[in-house]
Amino acid sequence: MPGPVARPLAAIGRVAKICAEHAGQIGTLVWLSGRALVRLRVSRQEIMRQVVVIGVQSIPIVLVTAILAGTVAGQQGGYQFQSTVPTYIIGSVVTTSMVLEMGPILTAIVLVGRVGARITAELGTMKVSEQIDALHSVGRDPIEILAAPRIVASLISMPILVAMANLIGVLAGMVASEISLGLASEGYFYGARLYWHSYDAVYSLMKALAFGFIIPVVSIHMGLRTSGGAAGVGRTTTQSVMFMIMTILIVDTMFPPLLLQ
Amino acid sequence: MANGDGPVIEYRNVYKAFDAPVLSGVSLTVRPGEMFALFGPSGTGKSVLLKTTLSLIVPDRGDVRVNGESVYFGGRKTLELIREKVGYVFQYAALFDSLSVFANIRMGLPESVLERLSPREVAAKTWEALELVRLEPRQVLSKLPAELSGGMKKRVGIARAIVGRPEILLWDEPTTGLDPVNTAAIERLIKQLSDDLEVTSLLVTHDVEGGLEMCDRVAMLEGGHLQFCGTPEEFRNSDIPVVRAFADRAQAYAALDVLDIS
Repeated sequence: MPGPVARPLAAIGRVAKICAEHAGQIGTLVWLSGRALVRLRVSRQEIMRQVVVIGVQSIPIVLVTAILAGTVAGQQGGYQFQSTVPTYIIGSVVTTSMVLEMGPILTAIVLVGRVGARITAELGTMKVSEQIDALHSVGRDPIEILAAPRIVASLISMPILVAMANLIGVLAGMVASEISLGLASEGYFYGARLYWHSYDAVYSLMKALAFGFIIPVVSIHMGLRTSGGAAGVGRTTTQSVMFMIMTILIVDTMFPPLLLQ
Repeated sequence: MANGDGPVIEYRNVYKAFDAPVLSGVSLTVRPGEMFALFGPSGTGKSVLLKTTLSLIVPDRGDVRVNGESVYFGGRKTLELIREKVGYVFQYAALFDSLSVFANIRMGLPESVLERLSPREVAAKTWEALELVRLEPRQVLSKLPAELSGGMKKRVGIARAIVGRPEILLWDEPTTGLDPVNTAAIERLIKQLSDDLEVTSLLVTHDVEGGLEMCDRVAMLEGGHLQFCGTPEEFRNSDIPVVRAFADRAQAYAALDVLDIS
């Protein structure tokens, strides 16, 4: 039996081992996927199929989320700024918050639920039902067939989805502030332009690319680690969603000090 | 890849542990053209040993050689060549859910072969593989695995394993989950295919009677060690207690002729 000092040390050691294991496996996954792409071993047809699954089919839910986020930002901004600052400032508040933060992060969270969980469950099921082993046995590389197309498709889809979310969110904010504050669209866009930096759009798309990379990589990695039958698939999918959300939030907090100074 | 008269498959002192040791220094050879059965209680590492043959599970120690080439020390190219020469039939067929029966079987053809064949030739090979496993191609080719019965899935899994005309077939409990009559039918199919295609077969099974009926040699794995290796006759007459416990089982073959099942 380990003593009171050894026990926490052993726990720290276990956590460190698990973290190192994940880091190593994720690094290998990214390296092998990159190698498959460079060697042109990834099917373009499969990439396009995944763009439809990850990108096109996510458009409705992403747009609904963006409309709600823009509407809430417009309404709450109006409530807070009423009779304290000029109302056209709402245009700036909504636009900046949508483009810098809400557009990328909400789109990412939506995709974690819609795409990330699906990828983990799908690959996890393939793992526990020996379909991944079957691919190896017939000389096919699951990284080339399953992983790389999903990563590329997500990197293509995410910036487009975030750009759409940003645009729709800003327009929804405009409508909301017109209804709740009586702010005309000219005033809204005057405020929006007043504090606008073109770099904000670049920053938003950089976030989109980062999140568009994290979601497939983590979900594929977790899917391929699955063991333990149906219960294992459920457990891994939950862990994967938590892992993706935490990683996205941590990376999100690293963006301002690194890229907004 | 040819190995003359040497063993086709050779397990050399294979160790594997997960949470606890599963294989503790297993050494075994399978000779050219023979049909070899591996018995043992559940959880003794029979499937683990089978999977080390294609590096689907990597042993902690030891080596596996196929046609004299090391699976683990021969490099990536060697492993690719070995996988082209070996067909693997999975316990629950492991068909790709999202692909049709045709696409599943097509996956069994090595990429190097697919590059050389026209779509018509690929279709012909797929058709032929289905006929070899006694399935009517017209009825199943376009179906998804979810639309097939358990026995049909097993047969499609076998068709995928044989479509590339392998030199070696690995069978991982191919009759698990089937009723006794279907079990006997699949076993008869295994025997026929192994003879017709002139392949070396390594069969992992719980069905001792079927294994003894079909195979040239058998082995018994228990507690991570090989407890027995010899002919079916020697197995039946063995004094080893764990072997004795496995050697007694009613036969289902008689039912095949009565019901006229191929």
